[in-house]
Amino acid sequence: MAELWNTFILEPVLNSLIALTTMVAGNFGVAIIVLTVVVRLALYPLTVRQTRSTKAMQALQPKLQELQKKYAKNKERLQQETMKLYKEVGINPLGCLWPMLIQLPIWIALYQSIMQALAATPENLLNLSQHLYSWAAVGQAVPLNEHFLGLQLSKPNMFIAVLVGGTMWIQQKMVTAPATDPRQQSMTSMTTLMMPLMFGMFAMSFPSGLSLYWVISNIIGIVIQYFVTGGWGYLRAPSAPKPVPTRRIGPAEQQSPTIKKASKEKRGLFKR
Amino acid sequence: MIVRFSFVSIRLSKALVLLLPLAVISVAAFGCVAPSSGGGCAGPGAQGWSGFASYDGMLYFASMDGSVLAVTATSGEREWEFSVKTEAPQGAPCGFACMPAARPAAIYGTPAVTETLVYVGTYVGDEGKVFAINRLEPQYDEEGIPSWTEGEWFYPRGERSHIGAIVGSPIVYEDTVYVGDSQGRLYALDAVSGTGRWEYETGGKIWTSPAVKDGVVYVGNYEGKLHSLSSDDGSLLWEIELPAAIASSPVVSGDTVFLGTFDHYLWAIDGNSGREKWRFEGGNWFWANPVAKGDVVYAGCLDHRVYALDARSGRELWQFVADSPIVSTPVLVNDLLVAVSESGEMYAVQAASGVSEWETSIGYSVMAPLHAEAGMVYVHTRNDQVCSIDAQNGQKVWEYLLVSD
Repeated sequence: MAELWNTFILEPVLNSLIALTTMVAGNFGVAIIVLTVVVRLALYPLTVRQTRSTKAMQALQPKLQELQKKYAKNKERLQQETMKLYKEVGINPLGCLWPMLIQLPIWIALYQSIMQALAATPENLLNLSQHLYSWAAVGQAVPLNEHFLGLQLSKPNMFIAVLVGGTMWIQQKMVTAPATDPRQQSMTSMTTLMMPLMFGMFAMSFPSGLSLYWVISNIIGIVIQYFVTGGWGYLRAPSAPKPVPTRRIGPAEQQSPTIKKASKEKRGLFKR
Repeated sequence: MIVRFSFVSIRLSKALVLLLPLAVISVAAFGCVAPSSGGGCAGPGAQGWSGFASYDGMLYFASMDGSVLAVTATSGEREWEFSVKTEAPQGAPCGFACMPAARPAAIYGTPAVTETLVYVGTYVGDEGKVFAINRLEPQYDEEGIPSWTEGEWFYPRGERSHIGAIVGSPIVYEDTVYVGDSQGRLYALDAVSGTGRWEYETGGKIWTSPAVKDGVVYVGNYEGKLHSLSSDDGSLLWEIELPAAIASSPVVSGDTVFLGTFDHYLWAIDGNSGREKWRFEGGNWFWANPVAKGDVVYAGCLDHRVYALDARSGRELWQFVADSPIVSTPVLVNDLLVAVSESGEMYAVQAASGVSEWETSIGYSVMAPLHAEAGMVYVHTRNDQVCSIDAQNGQKVWEYLLVSD
């Protein structure tokens, strides 16, 4: 299995990355950026599909919550009504998952390629030799120059780790609709904050070459989301979605100061 | 049923959306290097890099946990073990990304030895030092302070706390120690006092050893440049830029410098002018140092082969195919060439024809250069075992496993 992975996924990506380094005058940082852009462009249709699917699912949340309350005591009916709703609006609930699953091997291969190509120690460099093609462009680039814009790409860097967390937070915030239920809202806020924090923490111990890939990938994701969803999404207006006309407001929600405040102010994160 | 499946799958998809990024991180972090070559991540798996230096019936070698050892060549009996004390760089991050920064002092290179001292270079994250240790018995105290009265020293000292990490071996020529560091500097140090004589900036990382002959120092770097310097003052005599970074240490024979590059070539460079004499293409990197004797140069390659080439023309005389890459530098013992593959298979072939004489299994992966003396071949394996092999028949005479007491 590992052999298959190396032969058909890791090595093509690794060698392309190194050959690309030769083409961009031996600058590995630029090669990472170019390859990230190329990969993201190749996956553009999938990303768009995923973004649209996620947006559609989130737009449906108020109606789903309404159904959950309406059929709280009848699980079977709830499932039937839920599926009916999906059919009516033409959503596949797994639509936002498959594109991510398809992209996953490419992401992993990119991560591994950057790790291996940087070869921070002699043993890593020696191991790299077993994965390289006999292309002249590859042989001439190895070992790679690890300096890029003041970064040492094989070493962690605090600044770029912060960028990883920041761009990831923006990307998540753009598509994460605030929940109407205060408990759910609290959970959503925590998830939106925890993931970027966790990735930022990881980035502090990763080589900054990996973090560079992450930052560029996040920025491209933000741009795609901006154009596909038509703006900054919930980043500019993180208030709770308006209730559907037939909706009854529960007592817990009526007492929620968070929801009240958000609805009253109707202002986004940046007070715009 | 379909409805139930869909409902469950929605919840599943939510969980997966959170779990997938974690899976990405985990695979990226822990799968950074395939274990095919003994685990590429720096750490306990990366042992057995140092070769041997010998003097007066003793073998000196080092380990990746910063120990320098002396064993008797005839029996493998340990005479002494000395742990180099260094401080890890402050605030060095470590953990998920296989970063080498915070591990203790490692010694990649082969020690150099004189009548009184053993010299080693250390690798601690980005930093390195050169240590001179009393050859008969280390006199450093528990704080890591050398016994100056016994001639021991370390470099640098004073205001400068360290130089770049050292991967190559120090070389002693006359009364000077030459060593290159990862920041691209070549240092010439007084072998007796440890004071710096001169430094030369090569402009690229040095992970190989310099070579010195007839008052000329040759050193290659990862910018693909081979520099020829005067051993007296470090002045540049000539330099040549090759198409790829230099993978092996230069070896001088007659007026020719032999070395391997990362674009799969073995080069013969005129030692006087720096002009290319010839180049030979292998199937992978010539990582191991070439071995030159008379009109023949022997080169182990990561394409599993050992090549014998005409030193004057680069014409291939014969080749021998091993079972795995040749990382370790081969040795000549009388009329035999002894090589060991990365997997630990040792081969003895006739140096003149490449015809196999014997083959034996060491049992462990080998990357350290071989050492030959008095008809014996000494091997340092990746599990930190040292053994002595009779070059005539491949029989193991003794073995010694490094175990921290």
